[in-house]
Parts: sequence; structure tokens; C-alpha cells
Amino acid sequence: MSTAPTTTGGADADGPVPPPRASVPHETTTVPGVDSPLDAAPDAAGWPAGVPVAAPAEPVVADVGSGRVRWDPAERRARASQSFWTALVGVPAIFSVLRLGVEAGGELQTTLLLVANVGPVNLLAGFLTTAARLLSTGMVAVFALGAVLAVSADRLPPGTRRRPLFARWADITPAWVVLASFLLALITWPLLYLPLLLPAFVAAFQLRPARLHERVLPRLLMIVALLAGYGWLLLPTLRDAAEQGDERLVLVLLVVPPLLALFIAGPLPGMVIRPLASVTEVAMLATLVWAAVPVISTPVLPLTVTTVGTENGPAEDVRGHVITTDDVNMVILQERGGVRYVPVDLVRAQVLCPTEEELPRHQLRIHDFHVEDSLLEGMGRRVRPVHRIDAACRTPA
Amino acid sequence: MNAHSSRSRLRSVATTLAVALALTLAAAAGCDSRKEPDLPSVQEVLRESHIYGQTKLRIGVATNEPLMGELRNGQHAGFDVEIGRYIAASLGYEGDQRLEFVSVATEDRIPALQGGTVDLVVSSFSMTEERKKLVSFAGPYFVTTQEVLVSSRLKDKIRTIEDLRDPAYRVCTSGGSTTEAELEKRQVKTFVVKDVGDCVDGIRKGRYDAVSSDESILAGFLASFPKEFEFVDMPFGTSELLGIGVPIGDPALRDLVAFFLQKSYEQGRDGQASPWQTAYNRTLGPWLKAEKRQPQPLEVPKLVDFDDKAPRR
Repeated sequence: MSTAPTTTGGADADGPVPPPRASVPHETTTVPGVDSPLDAAPDAAGWPAGVPVAAPAEPVVADVGSGRVRWDPAERRARASQSFWTALVGVPAIFSVLRLGVEAGGELQTTLLLVANVGPVNLLAGFLTTAARLLSTGMVAVFALGAVLAVSADRLPPGTRRRPLFARWADITPAWVVLASFLLALITWPLLYLPLLLPAFVAAFQLRPARLHERVLPRLLMIVALLAGYGWLLLPTLRDAAEQGDERLVLVLLVVPPLLALFIAGPLPGMVIRPLASVTEVAMLATLVWAAVPVISTPVLPLTVTTVGTENGPAEDVRGHVITTDDVNMVILQERGGVRYVPVDLVRAQVLCPTEEELPRHQLRIHDFHVEDSLLEGMGRRVRPVHRIDAACRTPA
Repeated sequence: MNAHSSRSRLRSVATTLAVALALTLAAAAGCDSRKEPDLPSVQEVLRESHIYGQTKLRIGVATNEPLMGELRNGQHAGFDVEIGRYIAASLGYEGDQRLEFVSVATEDRIPALQGGTVDLVVSSFSMTEERKKLVSFAGPYFVTTQEVLVSSRLKDKIRTIEDLRDPAYRVCTSGGSTTEAELEKRQVKTFVVKDVGDCVDGIRKGRYDAVSSDESILAGFLASFPKEFEFVDMPFGTSELLGIGVPIGDPALRDLVAFFLQKSYEQGRDGQASPWQTAYNRTLGPWLKAEKRQPQPLEVPKLVDFDDKAPRR
């Protein structure tokens, strides 16, 4: 996962390749996968075609103390793996703590109150619940794009030997991690977007239709049968969407991706790789930032409405998130901001409420599973099919 | 060789297109996942209605129509009251602290809505074209017919509408009701009183001989005095659609009430225990001649609510 500058082949004046390192001995140019200095440019063109020029195969020179140390590929791989796991555990942990600040409404004292009362495990679990979708989307996108770029990298114009970032990430990631991220996506993505996972999967593992059968006719028959099965599964939903009129995007999202899956595997022409790599890297970063905002602002604690008041006296509904309850007080972070300490004796009722962000955007179902539910959510709704909205939830904030 | 290379070029163009299209679709999906719902939500419509932010919801009901709306030991009870309770709870008003039933006489139903003394009227309120010029209706939530109840001693004498025209019999009905207009149309001379309950009292005291009104209202009095009265089947041929009255200036509230009636209707249609069915079974059900079902409400808006993703089957 390192983004350290890498020079994997001949250098050129194109820019993407970092400046040469004079300290690297010339003889290394004779070994494939090893740094080559600027004056070894003629050798670079002589790379055997098809040999992956993977980033980890090169030694990197780093300043450590006064001397220079060369890391061998294995060590570099180990370090990459270390940083990968550090990032995997660290990023959610840091995010979880940071979003407490957002949840507290930017107030330092409220943030501290939350920190004091929300356990680390709850925090992490809460974060994963809301961020699993984003996490799996990011990983699936990187692996699918990485594999497409990796298989095309050999077609890069001579001289631009540096492999795109996503391709290098895809190279060093074990297949089971890729598979696990697809599985996570399968159970957390809304059903409506699941068809997109098909071309992504085919791209990530570069599965060409030829893998189905070596002869053309049986292959075509199998493809037609698979598509027919898919169509049969979705036919009622597609009919509904067509009737509703303004659901063209849904129709496209359900119909087109399986067809794309037939063509998506394979190398891209050399000229599109570089722009595709740079555009997708920037787009991915922008998307992650854009998608992270709602994740950070999603509350950690469940929304409740607490009815407060004396027996037979006037009652008041407090909308907010219960931070903690002790013998004396129930501490509620109000939806509109501010913390209320409500004496426990005055609490008359409390109900759990949904938020308006959970309202569906489409009125479509796939065999009674709502298109915006993930497989997990859909199964959950089968286990507890009755959903009652308590009257108190309608009261204004 | 040439053919092979052109095939491979075609292939890579197809792959490029597929990748580009897949990325475009992914971007479109991303945008779709962040857009607001097209349809208004219940909460949004609620914010537009005049009851939003009110601490109490006031529902006008009758207090002297047994089974529909009556005071029993100081508590409001009856089919209309139960329907009112369901609508109120759906709108966010549950419990005595937040819900107030206001007694409204038959003739005061429209003025009460116009004057703002009540937010809703659930009181055997027939939806008619004339009334629709003055108040809005959500519903129907019940379809009933016009019937005649006679004192048991006259059950063999009053059999037809013709008999009702006989000046020897004194027919009573409540003022401002659809029945009054219907009887007038059929040239039946009537004694008009404030409420159907007054007619029933009058018959028991010998002042009147027959009372005409909605079957649902009369069934209540029959339930109270089963030995003293009897239904007479007369071919009035009109069906009364009972609706929930809403101030004419609050279309948002009308839409919400219609939406929640529809929700109950759909539950009942799917074979679940709907709030309507529960209210019916507890009140009117055992006393009507024929089993009734909730009618489908008219002009129901499409709204989004929190439970839209719940399984239907």
C-alpha cells in the first residue's frame, strides 16, 4: 500500500517517473524488476513483454539515519502489508472518534461527554454498521479498476513503465481480500446497485466469457440462459419501473450491467490507460470524500423520543440520543443540539424513532425485497416484518 | 493474422466502452443514492398542515350516537371515536394528554370546522357535494344506507315510504343531516330535532313514531333498546359515504388523513388486522344486518413513509 516513488523500468522525461537515483549501482539494470538509472534507458525498452513490472519487486532507497538502506522486495511487501492492516484498523478508529465531534455538534464539552460514555467497541461497531457500504464500495472499485489497469499495463507506450497506482494495489492484494470485499459488497449494497457488482467482479478477476466453455455455441447458449434467468428474476420489477415512468435510471441500472460484464474483461488500448488511471484516481479520492461526509455525520447513538413529565402533569417530548442513564439522571443529547439531564423519575415513556434519511427514494421491489434494502436488511425485515412507527416520533424536533 | 489483430482491436474498443459505461453507471448510482425522494414524505406534509407543532389535536365527535360516538362513563367511545384515535395516533397524537375529543352536534359539524374549534370531525359525516364546498373530506371510511327505525308496536303498520307520508305517523330526523334532505325530496313530512338521540327519546316518550337516519347510527340505538325498536327495510336506494371532515383550507391534513385511511385499507385487504377492522369488530360489527368491510378511500395522495420498506407479504 505504499505510495513511495517507484521506478520500475526505464526512465524518461515524461514526468511520472521520479528523478534517477545516482546512488544506485548501474549493474542493477541487468536484473529485471530492479531500479534502473537514467542512463540505462536503452535497457528499459528491452523488458520482456508480459513480465509484470510490479512495484514491490524493486528495492527502494530510503534515508535511515545517516546511511542509506535498501529494502528487498519481501521486506517491502511485509511493510506494505503492515501499513495495510494499520490503515484497516486505524482509519475506522480515528474516524469513529472524529465523528463524535460532529455528533456532539462541535461542542468540546459535549464531545468529551460522549467520549466518556460511548465504549470503544460500540463506537467501532456503530461505525462499521454505517460505513460498511462505503468501505466495500471503495475496495471493490479499486480492485476492479486495478485489475483492468494491470492487465492493460503492458500496452502502455514504451518508456512509461510505471504501473498505475490501482494496478499496483491490486497486485499486492491477496485474492481472498478481493473476494471478501466483494462478499461484503454483496450483502451491504442496496439491491438496486447489486447488478453493478457483476461487471466489477468480472473485471477484478478478468473472467472472459471464454471461461464458460471453449466452444462458441455452448458458450452462447450458457450466456443466453444466464441472462434469461436474470431477466426472469427481475421481470416484475422492470415492469413496475416501466409503469412508474420516471424510473429510467432504475431500468438502466438493472438491465445494462450484466451485458457490460460480457465485454469488460480484457486489456484496454494503450492510449486510454494513462488518462483512465489518473482520472479514476482523482475521481475515487473525490468520491470517498463526498461519500464520507454523510458517514461522518450519521449519528452513533440511536434516535429516541423521551416523554418527560410528572404524573398527571404536563408532559414534554424530548427528541434526541440517550448518552447514558444512571440512578439519578438520563442524559439526552437533543436532536437540535444541547444536552438535557432528565431526572429518571420524570421519564414516562421512551420510543425508538427512524430518521428522515432512511426514507426510500424508489417505490420498487424485487420479489418483495425493497430495491434500496441490502440483502442483509431485506433478510432482517423478513425476521421482524412488522414495523410500527410510534406516534411520538411524529412530534416536531 | 490481420483478421486476428482487427478482432483484438475491436475487442479492446468494446472493453473500453464497457469500462466507460460501467464507470458512468457507477457514478449515476452514486448520485441516485444521495438524491432526495421524489415523492413528498408524511413528515413533510405534516409540516405543511395547520396541526404541526400543536400540543393537542381536537377531534369533533358525537356524544349521543351509541356505537358510533357516545359518552360512556365520561369516556368517549364508539366506532367514530376509535377511527379518530387511529388517525390521531398516526398523526403523532396519542394518549389523553395529546388528544381531545370535542362534542359536536350534527348541525354544528361544519361551523366547528370552519370556526377552528376542532381540527377534524369524525361524526357520521356524509360526504356530499354541497358540503364539499364548505369543508374537505377524507374517506370514505364507512358506507352506510339510510334506514328507518320504528317503535316495536308499529312494526306491522309502517312498512313502506308511502306509510311514512301518512300524516298519522310522526317521522323524526336530525337537522342538517342528509336524511332530512332525502325525506324532503320524497315529500315525507318530518319533525326535525337536534340529534337522532332526541328522536329516539321522543319515540320512547310517545312524541314520534319513527326515526330515519344512517343505518350505523340507528344500529346503536337498536343496540341500546333492542326490545323497543325494529328496523324497517325501505328502498331509499341512497348510500351514504361517511368521511372525516377537515377544514377546507388545509389540503395537507386532508391528504394525511386519506393516506392513513388507505394504509388501514391496505392492511385489511392483505388479510392483516387493520385498525379499521378492530374498531368495527369492537363496536358496530355485531349489530349490523350484514357484514361490512372498509371501503377504499378516494383521492389518496402518494406519500413516502418510514415503513415503506417493510415486507408486504
